Amino acid sequence: MIDIQETHKKFRKELSSGTVSLALLSILAQTKEPLYGYQIGKLIGSPLGAGDAKAKTDSVTVKQGAIYPVLRSLEAQDLLSSEREMTDSGPPRKYYRVTESGKQALMDWTEIWNETKTFVDNVLGGDYQ
Amino acid sequence: MKTTDELIQTYLDDLKSALAGADKATVQDALADAEEHLRTALESEKADQEDLAENEVIKGVIQTYGEAEEIAQAYLSWEQNLPPALAATPAARRAAGSADANSKTYPGFFGVFADPRAWGGLVFMLISLMTGILYFTWAVTGLSLSLGLIILVIGIPFMILFLLSVRGLSFLEGRLVERMPRRASFTDNSLGWMERLKQLLTGKSTWLGLLYMLLMLPLGIIYFTVMVTLIALAAGFIAAPVAAIVFNVPIEAISYGEIIWYIPDYLTPLIAVFGVFLATVTMHIARWTGKVHGRFAKALLVSD
Repeated sequence: MIDIQETHKKFRKELSSGTVSLALLSILAQTKEPLYGYQIGKLIGSPLGAGDAKAKTDSVTVKQGAIYPVLRSLEAQDLLSSEREMTDSGPPRKYYRVTESGKQALMDWTEIWNETKTFVDNVLGGDYQ
Repeated sequence: MKTTDELIQTYLDDLKSALAGADKATVQDALADAEEHLRTALESEKADQEDLAENEVIKGVIQTYGEAEEIAQAYLSWEQNLPPALAATPAARRAAGSADANSKTYPGFFGVFADPRAWGGLVFMLISLMTGILYFTWAVTGLSLSLGLIILVIGIPFMILFLLSVRGLSFLEGRLVERMPRRASFTDNSLGWMERLKQLLTGKSTWLGLLYMLLMLPLGIIYFTVMVTLIALAAGFIAAPVAAIVFNVPIEAISYGEIIWYIPDYLTPLIAVFGVFLATVTMHIARWTGKVHGRFAKALLVSD
């Protein structure tokens, strides 16, 4: 028997794998200052998680911990750059910022996203009857 | 009741076992990210939720971070997209200059000149003789002084300082050679200094680091010699037509006793063509050596 909960989870994961990259790139392009992982996680979580604590953990499409490998991957592709800064308390923080090729990629990806969105909207809107 | 440090450590251990079998570097990345996040989040959310006990706050933080199993999966799926060792050091990227724009693949035999990894490998091989001598001298001097002084009072602290320096140098070398930035070496504050000392003396990474430092001398000599020879040969061949045609230096091909056969001037450009070929082969060797050495360094320097 197929676990319906598992199927949802899988679908969600597949959907988020590209969109998270786009979202992270966009967030870092919008903020003028470099951000570290925890701040980015808060920003990603906040529009959806304004309500109670349960809504916060359930509705966020991406777990905060899943942001970090994406950040590293974007960095490896030269779309982000990072620097480590020491803190007085606790471990050093890794600050990320968008590179020039990251800005270019964001424009291209936004284009692709819009095409995808239109396509999916059209299908779901019943254009193929 | 567990303390926050213990809860964080438990989570990190879970994450580590969920990542069992993954690339060492990925495991380190994942642990460093998780520790940075959990501690930072704890600091900042403690202030917001003063009514809650500290270990209740950290439980919430861990929950929003995601289950160890799930986060491990995220790292594993991204791991495949990461470039291998020695790939994207900033120095290598600068050396490649404009090649950045198409930094995905470098097809073809001559594409190697646009590959930052090849330039990184080349620079690494040329400086490896120097670093090899430094490491070897440091390791041998430190080791023999430590052993020699061990019967005196200052012997033990000297040895500890020396082994700490080995750790530090291994970390720096790892940063240089391996895909970096790596996990910063923040110490586990929950351990007493006796425990830390024991870790230093019995830890595999200390002795593997020492071994690496010793091996870097022979390796450095080989790398340097091979590179300098190849570069000099290639440069010599490429310069042959200039020498022959512009400066009128005859290029000797065969000499048998008194009989010497000189290559005619019009054929010397062929030698230059061979020089270019040799230079390209050299770059391929540099890239390959860089890759292999990166793996070797990772095995010895990047600890579990």
